Amino acid sequence: MAYKRFKFLGVAAVVLMVAMACGGSNNPGTSKQYKIGLVTDIGGLNDKSFNHLAYVGLEKAKTDFGIKDDVTESKSGNDYVNNLTGFASKNYDLVIGVGFLMQEAVGTVSGQFPNIHFAIIDGAGTDANGNDLKHTNVESLFFKEQDAGAMVGVIAGWMEKNGKAKKNKHVIGAVGGISIPPVNHYIAGYKWAATMEDPSIKVLVGYSNDFTDPAKCKGQATSMINSNADILFQVAGGCGLGVLQGAGQAGVYSIGVDADQKDADPSVIASALKKVDVATYTAIKNVVNGQFQAGALTFSIANDGAGYAVDNLTVPAELQTELKTFQDKIKAGTLTPPADIPTP
Amino acid sequence: MSAIGDILHLLITANLWQATLAAAILLLLPALGGTISERSGVVNIAMEGMMLTGAFFGVAADLAWHNPWLATGVAMLAGALMAMVHAVVSIQFRADQIVSGIAINIFAAGLTVFLINRIYGLQDVGHVDQSALLPNINVPGLDQIPFLGKVFFQQNVIVYVALVLLVLTHLVLFRTRLGLRIRAVGEHPQAADTAGINVFAIRYGAVVTSGLLSGLSGAFLAIGISNTFVPNMTDGRGYIALAAMIFGKWTPFGAFVACLIFGLGQAIYDNNSIIHISPYLLSMLPYLLTLIVLAGLVGRSIPPAADGLPYVPGSE
Repeated sequence: MAYKRFKFLGVAAVVLMVAMACGGSNNPGTSKQYKIGLVTDIGGLNDKSFNHLAYVGLEKAKTDFGIKDDVTESKSGNDYVNNLTGFASKNYDLVIGVGFLMQEAVGTVSGQFPNIHFAIIDGAGTDANGNDLKHTNVESLFFKEQDAGAMVGVIAGWMEKNGKAKKNKHVIGAVGGISIPPVNHYIAGYKWAATMEDPSIKVLVGYSNDFTDPAKCKGQATSMINSNADILFQVAGGCGLGVLQGAGQAGVYSIGVDADQKDADPSVIASALKKVDVATYTAIKNVVNGQFQAGALTFSIANDGAGYAVDNLTVPAELQTELKTFQDKIKAGTLTPPADIPTP
Repeated sequence: MSAIGDILHLLITANLWQATLAAAILLLLPALGGTISERSGVVNIAMEGMMLTGAFFGVAADLAWHNPWLATGVAMLAGALMAMVHAVVSIQFRADQIVSGIAINIFAAGLTVFLINRIYGLQDVGHVDQSALLPNINVPGLDQIPFLGKVFFQQNVIVYVALVLLVLTHLVLFRTRLGLRIRAVGEHPQAADTAGINVFAIRYGAVVTSGLLSGLSGAFLAIGISNTFVPNMTDGRGYIALAAMIFGKWTPFGAFVACLIFGLGQAIYDNNSIIHISPYLLSMLPYLLTLIVLAGLVGRSIPPAADGLPYVPGSE
C-alpha cells in the first residue's frame, strides 16, 4: 500500500513538473538564457576522450550563445537516471547524455519528461532491450567511427606494407573496451582499411572488458606485442591509455582514439578522431536556433564530424597522398568503410 | 576445442606466467593488508578505497617531483591516512566496521575525482615520464634462466618487494611475539588485555599497516604498470583482494595462492585476441576457477573469533 502511495506521489510530482515546465517556456519576448545540462558516463570529464570533448563543445556553445551550462559526472551506471532527471526536473532546455551506456536511462527519463529536449551521444533513447523508443524529444548523435578508424587503418597498413613499422611482421592490433557498436565501428574501419593497404596483414582484435583500468589494456597490448604486433590501436577510453604506454615501453607504435592523444605517450603516431565536441555544439546550436530535430544526426568524415590526426610521426609524402586520396574517396562515397568488423 | 588448445599453448609460455605474477602482486599487497587487519580483529573492506587514494597521490606526487620512490612513499602515506580514518571510526568509536569500510571506498572514489578537478582542472591528469616510473628490474644472471628467469626475475621492483613482504608478513604473524599478540587480540581481546597487551595500539597498528600496503599496491598500479591516474582505475581489486584473503583462510601464503589464481585468470583473459572464444566467456574464468577451488579444495574459512567486534575495555 505504502509503495502505491509513493508511486502516486511520484506521478503527481511529474505531472506538476511538466505543468511547470509548460508554464515556464511561455516567457514572451525577452531573449532567454538557455540552460543546458550535460551528464557524463562513468568515464568522467577527465577521460581526455569523449566526455572531455563533450565538455569542450559545451564550453564553446557557452561562449557563442551565452548559455547556462551545468555538468554532472556519473559515478556508476546506477546514477544515469538520477542525473538526467536532476536536469530534466529543473526545466533545462536540453539535457545531453554522453555515451552509449546511457541509452536506456535516456529512454526512461525522456519518456517521463516529454516536454524536455534530450540529446545523446552514441545512442538513442531505448528500452531495456536496446530498442529505440523513438521519443520525439530525443536527438541521437551518431558517429561513423568507421571513417576515423579507416584513416588510421590506412596509416597502419601502409607502414606494414612498406616496412616502416618496428617489427614488420605484418601484424597489427586493436584493443577494444567492450564489444559495443561505437567500439566495433572503429575497429571495423581500421581492419578494413589496413587490409586494403596490406593484404597480407593480420589484425589482432581483443577486448579488455573495461574502460577505466589501464593495467587491463596494457595486458592486452603486451599479449599482442608478444604475437608480433607492432602498431596497436586503442579503442578503450581511459583503459586504453595502458595500450599507448605499453606500446611505448615495448618500443612499438600506437594509435590513440576519440581525441588527439599524442601527449599520452611518445609511441602515439596517430589518433582517430571522433568529434564529439562538434556534435555537442551542433545539438546545442539546434536548440538555441529552435531547430531541434528528433531522431538521428550522423557525424562522419563528410561533415567533419570524424577524422584523424597524425601525431609523433613524420609522414612520408607517399603516405600523405594515400591518406588524401582515401579521405576524398570516403567523402565522395566511392569508398564506404564497413560498420561491422570484417571476418578474415 | 581450438580455444582449449589455445589456452594450453599459452600455459607453456613464460610471458603468461610473468603477467600472472604481476597481476597477482597487485592483489597480494592489499590482501596481506586485509589479513593483518582482520587478524587483529578489525574487519577491513576498505582496501579498494585505500588503494585508489594511494594511486592518485602516487601519480600526483610523481608528476610534481619526478621521483617514483618519493611518490610511492606518498601513496603509502595516503593509504595509511585513509586507514587511520577506518581505525578511529571502528576502534575508537566502535562503529560498524563494514559500514565504515564502505564509506571509505565511496569517499575515496569521490575524493580522487574531486581532487583531479581541483588540481588539474577538466583536463586529464597528465602522464608520468618513463624515467619517473617504478622501474622494471632484471636480476643480473638469474634473469637468463630459461623460463623461470622471465617469470621471476624480469619484473617490476614492487614485485620483488611484495614477495619479501609476503614472507615477512608470514614470519611476523606466526613466528614472532608481535604476531602472537596480533592474533591474540583478534581472537580474544579481553584475555589479551588481561595479559597486558595494548589492544587498541595493536589494532591501530594493524589497520594502518593495511593502509600502507594498499597504498603501495596503488602506486604499483598507477606509476609502475600504468603511467597515469584514471578515476576508478583500481577496478574492484580491493574487493578481489578481500576474497583472496578469505579464500586463503586469513594466512599470507593462502592469500597468495588465491591471488595467483585470479592473476592467472586475468593473464589468460589478456590474450583474448588470440584465443578463439568469446571474451565474455573468458572473463568468467578466474571466478569459475575460484568457485571450483573454493568448493573442492579449500573447505570452510573461519575468521578470527573477534573479527569485526569492537573492543570495549572491561567488557566480558
